[in-house]
Amino acid sequence: MSPATVGIVLVSHSAELARGAAELAEQVSGGTVTVIAAGGTDDGDLGTSAAKVSHGLGQANQGAGVVVLPDLGSAVLVVKAVLEDHGDASSVVLADAPFVEGAVAATVTAAAGGDVKAVAAAAEEARHVRKL
Amino acid sequence: MSASYEQEITLEGDLHARPAGALAVAAGRFAAVIKVTAGGHTADAKSVLGVMGLGATSGQHLTVKASGPDAREAVAALIAILSEATKVGG
Repeated sequence: MSPATVGIVLVSHSAELARGAAELAEQVSGGTVTVIAAGGTDDGDLGTSAAKVSHGLGQANQGAGVVVLPDLGSAVLVVKAVLEDHGDASSVVLADAPFVEGAVAATVTAAAGGDVKAVAAAAEEARHVRKL
Repeated sequence: MSASYEQEITLEGDLHARPAGALAVAAGRFAAVIKVTAGGHTADAKSVLGVMGLGATSGQHLTVKASGPDAREAVAALIAILSEATKVGG
C-alpha cells in the first residue's frame, strides 16, 4: 500500500474558480491526490468562508499534512485565522504562490510523494516560471 | 558515485498538460536529478510547469538526461511515459 499523499486545499473568492482549479490540478496530476475546493461564502456568494476552509483542511488531510493555497487578499486572512485556531502548524502549510500554477505544481509534487515542505516549495516556485 | 544516462525520443504528440503532469509525477519519485531538453530549452523534469513551458510538440526530439543513483531507471521510466502519454495527446 502506498503511503498517504499530502492533501491540497484551494481557497478562492469564487466557488467556480476553486472547483475549476481543483479539477485541472487533479487531471494533470493523475487523480491520486485529495484536492479540496473551498471557494465562495457559506451562502454561495463571492468571498471566503472560514467554515469551508476549516472543513476542507479536515477532508484534505490523509495523514501526510495539507498545503493551502489562497487566491487573493482576504482569502489569505481567512486562511491565516483558521490556521491559528487549527493548532498543528507543522502539518498544515500556507503557500505563497500563484493560484492556478501553484495548485498544479503542488498537486503534481504531492502525487510524486513529496512532503508538505516539498509541496509548498513546488507551489512557491511557480512564481518564477515564465510562460513566454 | 553517481552515473549519468540520457536517451532521446521523438514525440508522437504534443507535450500537453496531462502528459507533462504524468512525466513530472514519475520524475519526482526518483532521487536522480533529471532534465528534459527540447527545442533548445531545458527544464527540470520534476517541475510540471517547467516541462509544460518547453512547449514541446509532435515530431520534436526530446532528450531525457538523469544523474544520480537511480538515473538509469529514471531515464527508462520517463522515456516509456513520454512514448505512451504523448500518443493519445493530452
